[in-house]
Amino acid sequence: MLNLLWPTLVLATPLILAAMAGYTSERGGVINIGLEGMMLASACTAALVSVVHGAALGLLAGVGAATLLSLLHWLATQHYRIDHVISGMSINALAAGGTNFLYGKFSNPDRTGSIPHFGVPIFVGLAFGVTAALWAGTKYTAFGWRLVAVGSDPAKARLAGINPVVIRLIGLLMTGVLTGLAGVMLVSDSGVFTDNMTSGRGYIALAALILGGWRCVPACLACLGFGVLSAVRLQFQGTSALGGHIPTEAWASLPYVVTVVALAGFLGRTRTPTGLGRL
Amino acid sequence: MSWKLGSLIVGAIGVLVLAIWASGVSPAEALGTLFRGTLGSPSAISGTLRETTPLLFTGLAVFLALRAGLFNIGVEGQFLIGAMIGSAFAIRFPGPFGITFALIGGAFGGAVWAAGPGWIKAYRHGHEVITTIMLNSVALYLTSYVVSGVIKDPAQQSAPTVNLAEASRLPWLVNAPPVQVSWALPLALVSTLGLAWWLKKTISGYELQAVGANPIAASYAGIDAPRMIFFAMLGSGAIAGFAGAIQVVAFEGRFYSGFSPGYGFDALGVALLAGNQAQAVIPAALLFGVLAKGGTALQIFGIPKGITTVFLGLIILIAAAIRYRKVIGGA
Repeated sequence: MLNLLWPTLVLATPLILAAMAGYTSERGGVINIGLEGMMLASACTAALVSVVHGAALGLLAGVGAATLLSLLHWLATQHYRIDHVISGMSINALAAGGTNFLYGKFSNPDRTGSIPHFGVPIFVGLAFGVTAALWAGTKYTAFGWRLVAVGSDPAKARLAGINPVVIRLIGLLMTGVLTGLAGVMLVSDSGVFTDNMTSGRGYIALAALILGGWRCVPACLACLGFGVLSAVRLQFQGTSALGGHIPTEAWASLPYVVTVVALAGFLGRTRTPTGLGRL
Repeated sequence: MSWKLGSLIVGAIGVLVLAIWASGVSPAEALGTLFRGTLGSPSAISGTLRETTPLLFTGLAVFLALRAGLFNIGVEGQFLIGAMIGSAFAIRFPGPFGITFALIGGAFGGAVWAAGPGWIKAYRHGHEVITTIMLNSVALYLTSYVVSGVIKDPAQQSAPTVNLAEASRLPWLVNAPPVQVSWALPLALVSTLGLAWWLKKTISGYELQAVGANPIAASYAGIDAPRMIFFAMLGSGAIAGFAGAIQVVAFEGRFYSGFSPGYGFDALGVALLAGNQAQAVIPAALLFGVLAKGGTALQIFGIPKGITTVFLGLIILIAAAIRYRKVIGGA
């Protein structure tokens, strides 16, 4: 059992970080399907910079790249008033194309070995720390209350003297930092950057956030659940033990199917923030 | 045009010029390569038209949903399901009958794949964007599982299905290699005009757009808005599935894992750029077809293909800044 615990935590960590990134954005009413792209941008930038300047600057660069995209999302949705979904899609396109371009242009193909990085356990600890901090932050700090207020009813929040645009800026800055960490975690774990290496993790994190009813702790648990699924899949693939005969594709589809069922309202009441996508 | 929009466009052009400059090629040279590789010779043009055809169909699928106020991000998945079912039918029943069957089956498959999100949106108020994104991944896994099992070529260890017999392929309209234009292109053009006519001249088309503009007002006008939303999603999925089946019988001649290079996502850009006129899908699809074909030309030139995806993202942003703005207090 213990040989499943660590892989589960490692697989769940980028999901948790990304889900928390989604939390600070969506709780404030900003739909964010750009998590995938932000993670990807961070992973690519971190990989490129780490090789030359070491792990610390790599981490900073990764977080910076994700934050930049997150700010673009804020600008597009709050100032240009572009539909949140469209902005998110274009951020994913920018990141997918941009990382392909940058990595194709600036990486050294002759280089071998893992890129310099921080230890994976640091990120694992960080993921749980962030979850706890956001839970407490939402419950006990004025900013947390304001974030939830803006996400629930921006018009009333505005009447109460809260500026939704500013609150969402802070929320999206957090989103940028957290997706940045998630992206750096991915390259730290695998030691290389590969094209489209996030492979849908941003969407799975979003699924976890939805399954958790847009709450920190349940969302974190959902990520752990998805982590267990992947760990079990990797461990028992092709063996006869514990559902090894079930096709891997079915295992991989499970998080998505569960989320669709949850969105259909079959798993308890829906807890969607009512101000999601509104100005 | 406001200064906000102006600065957005200037910023976008700046990003592109910077990227081209970073790759050590002069922008003029890059543009020249792009032009020569897409519209510079008869064979290049025929390649561009080949890329345009699926974009036209999938763009139409996104466009239809958009008119009903829905973001069908699931076109990618519906396209894959349509292609899978289409190829299965075309392999099983050779000849013209098989082609017809494949196209109908593909459209049906796409509609089925869109039915869940449509129903959830219409009757359970679950956001169609999330459900369709999730089902895209499921479609990807499902098709790659099926193609490596039930419908794979028995002679092969893995991956693709058998190649279709010549009789099961859609004939060429122009066949003078290297120039080849499939009948799929006029079919796509006619479909576009047909959809434009339907939206403009029929009651049901009007009702669909009324729901898209304001579902509450449409309900007061006596339109069954949830039903309309459900059927708009079905229709959008059917077009996407049809596009997948067309892609099999007209161009690829087989189905394999990773069949779509992202037509469903490009289609979103096509439909957003087209705005609110169905005819406008045609030039928009052509532009994206040029980009898709041009990416390959640029790659040979030493500029990674990703730059065209960056361009796509910027186009979507600018088109949305012009057309898909929200008003304070609106839904």
